[in-house]
Amino acid sequence: MGKFEKSINRRTILKAGVAAGALQIAAPYIVKAQGEQPVKIGVDNPLTGIYTALGKNENTGMALAAEQINAKGGILGRKVELVIEDSTSDKTDVAVQKARKLIQSDKVDFLIGNVNSSQAIAISQVAAELKMPHIDPGGHADVITGSSCQWTTFRVCNTGAMQGNAMAKPLVKIGKKIYIIAQDYAFGHSLADGLSKAAKTAGGTIVGTDFFPLGTTDYSAILIKARAANPDVLVDLAAGDDGINSLKQAVQFGIDKQLHLAGMQQELEVLEGLPPEARVGTWLFEWYWNQPSNVPGVADFVAGIRKSTGKVPTARTWFGFAAIHSFALAANKAKTLDAAKVCHALEGLKLPPEVACQPGEPYYRAEDHQLVPAVFIGHAQAKGAKDPEDLFVVDQVEQGPSFIPPATETGCKLHYPT
Amino acid sequence: MTQVILFNVLNGLIVGAFYALMALGLSLILNLSGVINFAHGGFLALGAYLAYSLAPYLGFWGGLVIAPFLTAALGIIVERVLIRRLYGRDPLYSLLLTFGLAFIFQDGLRYTWGASSVPYQIPGWLGSPLSTSLFFLTGYRVFMVIIVALAVAALFLILGYTRLGIRIRAGTLDLDTVSVLGVNVRVLRNLNFGLGIYLAGLAGVLAAGLLGLSPTIGDQLIMPSFVAIIVGGLGSLPGTLAGGLLIGIAAGLTSVFFPTAQEAIIYVMMALVLMVRPNGLFGDAGRVQ
Repeated sequence: MGKFEKSINRRTILKAGVAAGALQIAAPYIVKAQGEQPVKIGVDNPLTGIYTALGKNENTGMALAAEQINAKGGILGRKVELVIEDSTSDKTDVAVQKARKLIQSDKVDFLIGNVNSSQAIAISQVAAELKMPHIDPGGHADVITGSSCQWTTFRVCNTGAMQGNAMAKPLVKIGKKIYIIAQDYAFGHSLADGLSKAAKTAGGTIVGTDFFPLGTTDYSAILIKARAANPDVLVDLAAGDDGINSLKQAVQFGIDKQLHLAGMQQELEVLEGLPPEARVGTWLFEWYWNQPSNVPGVADFVAGIRKSTGKVPTARTWFGFAAIHSFALAANKAKTLDAAKVCHALEGLKLPPEVACQPGEPYYRAEDHQLVPAVFIGHAQAKGAKDPEDLFVVDQVEQGPSFIPPATETGCKLHYPT
Repeated sequence: MTQVILFNVLNGLIVGAFYALMALGLSLILNLSGVINFAHGGFLALGAYLAYSLAPYLGFWGGLVIAPFLTAALGIIVERVLIRRLYGRDPLYSLLLTFGLAFIFQDGLRYTWGASSVPYQIPGWLGSPLSTSLFFLTGYRVFMVIIVALAVAALFLILGYTRLGIRIRAGTLDLDTVSVLGVNVRVLRNLNFGLGIYLAGLAGVLAAGLLGLSPTIGDQLIMPSFVAIIVGGLGSLPGTLAGGLLIGIAAGLTSVFFPTAQEAIIYVMMALVLMVRPNGLFGDAGRVQ
C-alpha cells in the first residue's frame, strides 16, 4: 500500500510538471537594468525552433542599438532596457501570450516582433488592441502593412510585392519562363504573389508554381516536377532551413547546370549553412554587410556586431538594429512615450546614415507604415575572396521608391483612435 | 506525365528507404522495451553533428563509420541511467522522459554547435547526378539506398542468426519466459536500445548529406517514421520496412498532383490502412504494447 501511494504521488508531481511546462511561461531575460525608470522595449521573437538563428541575430542587432542609445543619453534621458521573451518559431498562441505578458505585466513602452509572419500578424493585432507602438522587424507577409495594417504597427523588412517588383526585371532578363517553388504559409504566398504579378508586367511567364509544407525535408519530387516544366529560371522562395534543404538538393541534382537557379529574399544565414558548391544563384538581399560603395555607418555597424559576436551582421541583425533605433528616434522627436504621438513621429521618419547603413534615405511611409529601404541584388559565391563570411556579391542596388507599390495599392487604411 | 510519375515512384522508394531506416530503430526499441522513443530525432541529430565534427580529422567516411557507434554508446548510457528505471511502469512515464530528452538534446546541440545550420560536405563524386535524364538519381541517393539496404540486411541477419538477435526476437514475443529461461533481460534491453540508437545515428549522418544540418534536423523526420511503424504494423520489422517505403512513394506521388498535401497524405494513408487493417499491414492481431 505504501508503495502504491508513493507512485501516485510521483505521478501527480510529474503531471503537474508537465502542465507547468505546457504553459510555457519562463522568466524574462532582462538585458539591461540600469537607472531609476528605464524605457522598456519588449522583444517577442523566436529563440527556439526553426527560426532560432534568425531571431537571435535580430536580437543581437537590438542589443547593439540599445547600447548605442544608452551611451548617447537614452530615450528622453532614460536608459533603454530590452525585455526579451521567446515567442517560439511556430506557435502563434505563444507569441500572442508573450506579447500580452510584455505589455500588461512587464509594462513595456514599445513592442517588437516577429521573424514568423503569422506571429507578426497576431502580435500586431494585440498591439493595436492595447494601443502599443509595435515594430515588425522581419515578418514579410504583405498584409502586415497591407489589408491588416494597424496604426500601431510599423515594419522594417520588405513585403513580397516590393521584392517582386525589385526582382522581376533581373529575373526576366535571365529567362522568360519562370517556375516558382515556395513555402505554403503567409510568407511564401506573399513572395510568390508579388513575383507572379511583377514578372508578368516585366514580360515573363510563370510556367508553374508549387507550394510545399513548411519544414519539408525532401525536395526531389517537387524538383522533378519543376524540371519537367522546362523553365529557364527556377525561383526558390524558401527561407531558413527549407531554403538550405531545397538548394542543397537542387544542386545535387545538377539543376543549377541545366537552368538558372534564383530567388528573391536570400539570407546570409542560409548561405552559411550550405556547402560551398551549393552557394549559387541570383538573389535579393534586404541588407548586406559588404556593400559596393563606401556608405557611412556600415563599417561601424559591422565592427560593433563583430565585436560582440565575432561574426558579421546579417540582414536580420540590421532589422533588429534599425527597429530599436527607430523607436528611440521617434520618441526623442515626439518628446514623449505616448503611443499615438510616437506613432505619428515614426510616420515619415528618415533613418540617419549611422542607422540606415545603406545608400539612400530609408523612411517609414506614412500611409502604410512600411519602411522604404534599398535592396541589394546580386549572386551567391562559394567563397569570399578576402573574407570567409563574404558569400554574396552585390551587382546592383535598387532604391525603395523605384520598387515599392503605391500606398493606394496595398489595401491599407489606418484608423487612429479619436 | 507518365515519366514524372515513374520518376516519383522510384524516388519515393529512395526517400522511403530512409524513413524505414529511422523507423526500424524506433521499432526495435518499441517492440522489446515498450518505449516510444521521442528522443530518436535527438539521437539522429547528435549522430549527424558528431560526423560533422569528426570530418576534419577522419573525413566523410571516418565520420560515417564512427559517429553512429558513438551515438549508440550514448544511447546505451541513457538507457542504463534513465530509461531502465521506467520499465514496467505506465508507458506515459517513458514517453514523458524521452519527450523531455528530445528538448534537452535540441538545446544541447544548439548550445554546442550553434543555432544556425552548418555546412556538412559529402565527397564531390557522390554529390552529382548519375545521368542527365534520371537526374534525381544522384550518387549520394544511390549510396544512401545501398547503405540502408546493407544496414537492414545486417539487422535481419543479426536478428535471425545471432544469439543476441534470437533473444531479442524471443523477448519481443514473451519477455517473461525469456527471463525465466535465464536470459539477462536488463542486458538484452540495453544492447537492443543501443542497436536502435545506432540506426538513428546512421540515419543522421546520411540525412546531413542531404539536408542542412541544424539542431532541429531530426524533428521533421521523426513523424513519418512513427507513421511507418503504424502503417507496417506494431511488432513487425518487415512491416516497418514496408511502411517506410510505402509512405515515401505516397508522398512522392502526391507531390506530382498536389504538393501542398504531401505531408498530409502520410496521415491519410495511415487512417486508410488502420480502417482496413486495424493492426497495420503486417501487425499481429491482438498485440498490445
